[in-house]
Amino acid sequence: MVPQNFAIQTRQLTKIYPGFWKSQNVTALSELNLQVEQGQIFGLLGPNGSGKTTTIKLLLGLINPTDGDALVMGQPAGDQDTRRRLGYLPEESYLYRFLNARQTLDFYARLFNMNRAQRKRAVDYYLDFVGLDPAVRGRRIGTYSKGQTRRVALAQALLNNPDLVIMDEPTSGLDPVGMLEIKNMIIRLKEAGKTVLLSSHQLADVEDVCDRLVILYRGRVEIAGNLTDLLELKDVFQLEARQVSDSLREQLIALAQQGGAKEVQTGRPRVRLEDLFKQLVDSKRRGEKATPTAS
Amino acid sequence: MPHGTGIHYVTLFADSVIGLLIVAFILLAFRDVLRLRTGLSRAWAIGRVSLLDAWSARIWVLPVIWLFISLILCLAIVRGYTPGSKVRLDLTIFLRAQEVLLLVYLGILACLALPRERERRTLITTGAKPISRLELLLGKVFGLWAAGLVLLLAMMLLTWGYMTLVDGKIRSDARVLYQQEKHGYEKMIRRVPPQPGLRLLAENGVLQAQNNLTGTLRIAGQIHYSSNPPRRELKGGSSETLYFEFPSLPASFESPPVILFNFGVVSYAPHPGPVKIHCTLVSRANPMTTEEKSLTLDQNGTAEWFVKHTSGFFSYRNPGTGALYNPGPVVIRVTCTNPMVYLRFFNGVHKTGGIPHASCYVAGLDPDRTANHAGYVFPKSNPIITGFKSNGKQEIVGPSYRHPGIPPEVASFEFKHLNPLTIPTTKNGMFTVNLMIGVDKQENEQLPALAALQAYTTAAPRDRTTLQNIRIDEKHVTPIQLPRSLLSQGGSLVITLVSEVPGHWLKLTPDSVAIVRPASPFIINLAKSELVIFCEVALLIAIGVVAGTRLGWPVALLTTMVCYMLGNLFSFIAQLHAANGFELLNYVENNKLKGVWYYQIGSIISAGMTKVLYILVHLLPDFTRFNALHFIVRSLNMPWQILAINIFWTLVCALPTLALGYLLLRKQELA
Repeated sequence: MVPQNFAIQTRQLTKIYPGFWKSQNVTALSELNLQVEQGQIFGLLGPNGSGKTTTIKLLLGLINPTDGDALVMGQPAGDQDTRRRLGYLPEESYLYRFLNARQTLDFYARLFNMNRAQRKRAVDYYLDFVGLDPAVRGRRIGTYSKGQTRRVALAQALLNNPDLVIMDEPTSGLDPVGMLEIKNMIIRLKEAGKTVLLSSHQLADVEDVCDRLVILYRGRVEIAGNLTDLLELKDVFQLEARQVSDSLREQLIALAQQGGAKEVQTGRPRVRLEDLFKQLVDSKRRGEKATPTAS
Repeated sequence: MPHGTGIHYVTLFADSVIGLLIVAFILLAFRDVLRLRTGLSRAWAIGRVSLLDAWSARIWVLPVIWLFISLILCLAIVRGYTPGSKVRLDLTIFLRAQEVLLLVYLGILACLALPRERERRTLITTGAKPISRLELLLGKVFGLWAAGLVLLLAMMLLTWGYMTLVDGKIRSDARVLYQQEKHGYEKMIRRVPPQPGLRLLAENGVLQAQNNLTGTLRIAGQIHYSSNPPRRELKGGSSETLYFEFPSLPASFESPPVILFNFGVVSYAPHPGPVKIHCTLVSRANPMTTEEKSLTLDQNGTAEWFVKHTSGFFSYRNPGTGALYNPGPVVIRVTCTNPMVYLRFFNGVHKTGGIPHASCYVAGLDPDRTANHAGYVFPKSNPIITGFKSNGKQEIVGPSYRHPGIPPEVASFEFKHLNPLTIPTTKNGMFTVNLMIGVDKQENEQLPALAALQAYTTAAPRDRTTLQNIRIDEKHVTPIQLPRSLLSQGGSLVITLVSEVPGHWLKLTPDSVAIVRPASPFIINLAKSELVIFCEVALLIAIGVVAGTRLGWPVALLTTMVCYMLGNLFSFIAQLHAANGFELLNYVENNKLKGVWYYQIGSIISAGMTKVLYILVHLLPDFTRFNALHFIVRSLNMPWQILAINIFWTLVCALPTLALGYLLLRKQELA
């Protein structure tokens, strides 16, 4: 019996891509055992070719496992009813280039059997939600920038208000502001009780938002656990303070050494470049809104 | 189809594969099919995107290209001799061009439908949504069907517009000409009154779809009331040939086989002398293997023929090994060399005093291998008779000055199952029959062609209506009036025609005599033809989409093309198989090489290929069933039943095709 609090559970999940000869077989994923609790933000990390995307495709039922099984929301992976509660953002934005943003979202909303009024409401809401410029919503997606396309792809993943959102490289192609917005949005999803499975190369993103994570390497789990447990240095203590004079700093060092502390270091913390960039863009945007253009 | 052979059972198996596919589909897709009640909207969502995809690929250019090509062909290249034939040619061009362009373009789009989604990887995003594989497959098919319908609708309206313009021009020209002729006749400039056909043309045009009823045409050398409807006899001294066909002739080692003939001789010659027939035995499998013999009929009209070279025509079983040598079906051709003599023959097997006999049968055979275990076999019923056709039309000759004793030949048209309520009558209680007869004046060219007509029902054959001296104008319709009482007597209506002028031959087709019924609007008939084109295109789309489920688009395209080509060659391949396969195509060379080892290997491969093709065509839909032009270019209204059969046939073929597609896509990885 599957406990209800697991959004995703895999048992010995294995995927081997067959080659022409048996010796050419490629093991993309090997005996993966994974448990993602509901309401968590779960990180799926690993270098290229480690099996992250294969895991996601297996969970969505897009490919068939060679061995083992996977349960998503308590049902076998790929179950049609379960997919009603899923949102999926692929690593590249695989959308129809000949449709515009509205038509695209309308099409995906139809696949959820939404009626006309529901579709219109959902399309408008999620296009606003992902911050797609209203001026481009009627243009074909083929003419969009990568960031704009990514926002439409994100909107289609959230269109059905899913309980489980699977995101493969969600910030790929976005500017730092967009990246930060996505991160904030993921946190908001968690606050709303949603489960998020996040696969990313942007380790900083994962670090900022994830509760738990696994690191895959060549299809096998190398590390798994809570982010805090994994990253916390248990034997190191850090003190932050403002307006510390040089003499006070030396006294603190001396005090620590007297107390038996080893490898005592002091320094000035730095603001992250991402925060600096965000501050700059935000202030510029505020300025643009306040000052009318010359035309 | 050769019964009892291995290939027969294999083709039976091939046919049942289609049934098995449907059963497997129903069992496996049970949940999906149930969900389709709500899932059809999802399938349509996929279809809608396919339609928009086609639109973005500028599918709307297709009607423009089609119109351009058709107009060039109609206006510049092809011209008809008469207004009617011009319209028929235009319609043929317009509809055939539609059919070809749609088959090519939508066939390509169908083959690209799923492979392109895989290449663009949009299938990953769509596949993650709550959509079943069946909905995905149906969605692709629905989308392209919708595209086909939209295109056909546009093309139909353009065709209708163009044809109405052409018809308007023809009507206005006819009106002017009729007025000129009428004016000339009234002013005594012309002696001949204006042609009523011109007035009809000006009033009705050429586009109306005729609902006239046609019957079955038979030709008789001499009419016999006992044989009803009348039957043609073999005319002596002419090129008329009678064909008796035997599926197999199983010979015995104990007695020589003998072919026996039994004809009724009808002679009009004053001193007939011995009646001779010329017979030719032909192997169907190897038409170069023949044996000929001239025979003289005795007073009872019988003759017998002992064949010399039996091995080319008769099958033998080796008593030692039990191996069977069978050269296949055999045909006996018979002609009569005496002029003024007619040979009457049986259409089937008759029993006289408990003993069955036919006009031709083969005796002295192996009793163990004949169907009745009596050592003789009868030919297939209703032997074919040829030799009185000219340019695809049957001809009947009028009376002869030289031999006044010979009655003229008679053509009979039999109308079965007539519903009197559907046939309009005049106030005088008459109904109209149109005669459209060609004339070949070999003598008496200066005389007008005249025909005599008799009409009766099989319920009361002696109660006849006779019309004489009906003037026949070639390429013009001659309307005649017949009493309505003929329709209410029950039985079939028979109308017979004879040429009254010596040396005048009447050229007939099955629709030369037609009972007139009100015409239908052209637009309805055009829509029916367009729907038949749509059925053909829809079936090809289903095949293309299914081929694309597992194959890349170039291979899917090739597969679909092969399916379509084999589907159009169904009867050819079936006949090729019956006639011993590809070896038939190079019979002379092959015969020289018989016994050479590499020939034998080639022969085995060739026979295998024929068998494989034969099985394959049984698995594929028969595309020759779709004939959108058959009725409309003859200005005939397509019966609704024909349209329903086309739609039914499309569904019967599309359903197993989609079932196969579902089975292929069910476990297919989408990413």
